[in-house]
Amino acid sequence: MFKGIIRKADILLAGVLILIGVAASLWISQFDTSGSRVIIKTDGKVYGSYSISQDRTVTVKQGKKTNTVRIHGGEVSVTHASCHNQVCVKHKAIHTTGESIICLPNKMVVQIQGKGGDEYDAISS
Amino acid sequence: MPFPAKSKGTTSRRTADSRTGNVATIALLAALALIFSYVEAIIPYNPGVPGIKLGIANIVALVALYRLSAKHAAAVNVIRILIAGLLFNGVFGALYSLGGAAISLLGMVALKKSGQFSIAGVSMAGGVLHNMGQLLVAALLLQDSQIFLYFPVLLFSGMIAGIVIGLGAAVICRRLEHL
Repeated sequence: MFKGIIRKADILLAGVLILIGVAASLWISQFDTSGSRVIIKTDGKVYGSYSISQDRTVTVKQGKKTNTVRIHGGEVSVTHASCHNQVCVKHKAIHTTGESIICLPNKMVVQIQGKGGDEYDAISS
Repeated sequence: MPFPAKSKGTTSRRTADSRTGNVATIALLAALALIFSYVEAIIPYNPGVPGIKLGIANIVALVALYRLSAKHAAAVNVIRILIAGLLFNGVFGALYSLGGAAISLLGMVALKKSGQFSIAGVSMAGGVLHNMGQLLVAALLLQDSQIFLYFPVLLFSGMIAGIVIGLGAAVICRRLEHL
């Protein structure tokens, strides 16, 4: 029924399209769409971005000011701060998108972002 | 070439040559395409990602492109999309479809003119371009670039749908030597 319909150029085009598709999927998969990310900002600038699903402890150093951020079991908390009021240390652990812990004296913000966020805006520009 | 484009003025194009015949042919094909749109709209099928569907109605546009002209195909598509938008797809659905259909038709005409591709290949490219066009319209409307995460999914679904539609159109074209 379909004999003699498909031609060489068709197969070539299909190959090219498949390549583009695979390349695009690989490219997109680099941006870790699996879960939320923990963004640490100091003085308004991004200090680091970490996956919330990976346990780790990050020490944020800004001269003499230090904060220790602990990512554990999908929750983020600040375990140590060099500041005097310790508000961020007393803050409960955060885990949902949009939540944040802020250390005002050290001008540090720990934020949980959903899929995408700043990274994807950068792609389109 | 399995499906040679017909030159103008052959007797088999009698109906399409006159103005009235044109209007009647386009209206007929648009009505047919609309039925296909309706059939597709009532099939309860939700793949999880918006925009993935077979697009059976495009088979009509494709046959029109090959057996009549690009203008016929464009007219059939525009009429079908506008009415289908009012009836069941919604105005925004129509906007997405128009963007997709415009880009898709331009690409298909270009590929068809090159003479290198079969109707299935042209349709495959058309399917991909249709989805890309919709993605662009969606990105413009939503002002959200995250939507491009759908790119690979829509590319492959467009390919598959395009090939299926193209093979269908090829079979129909073969039976419709005298449209």
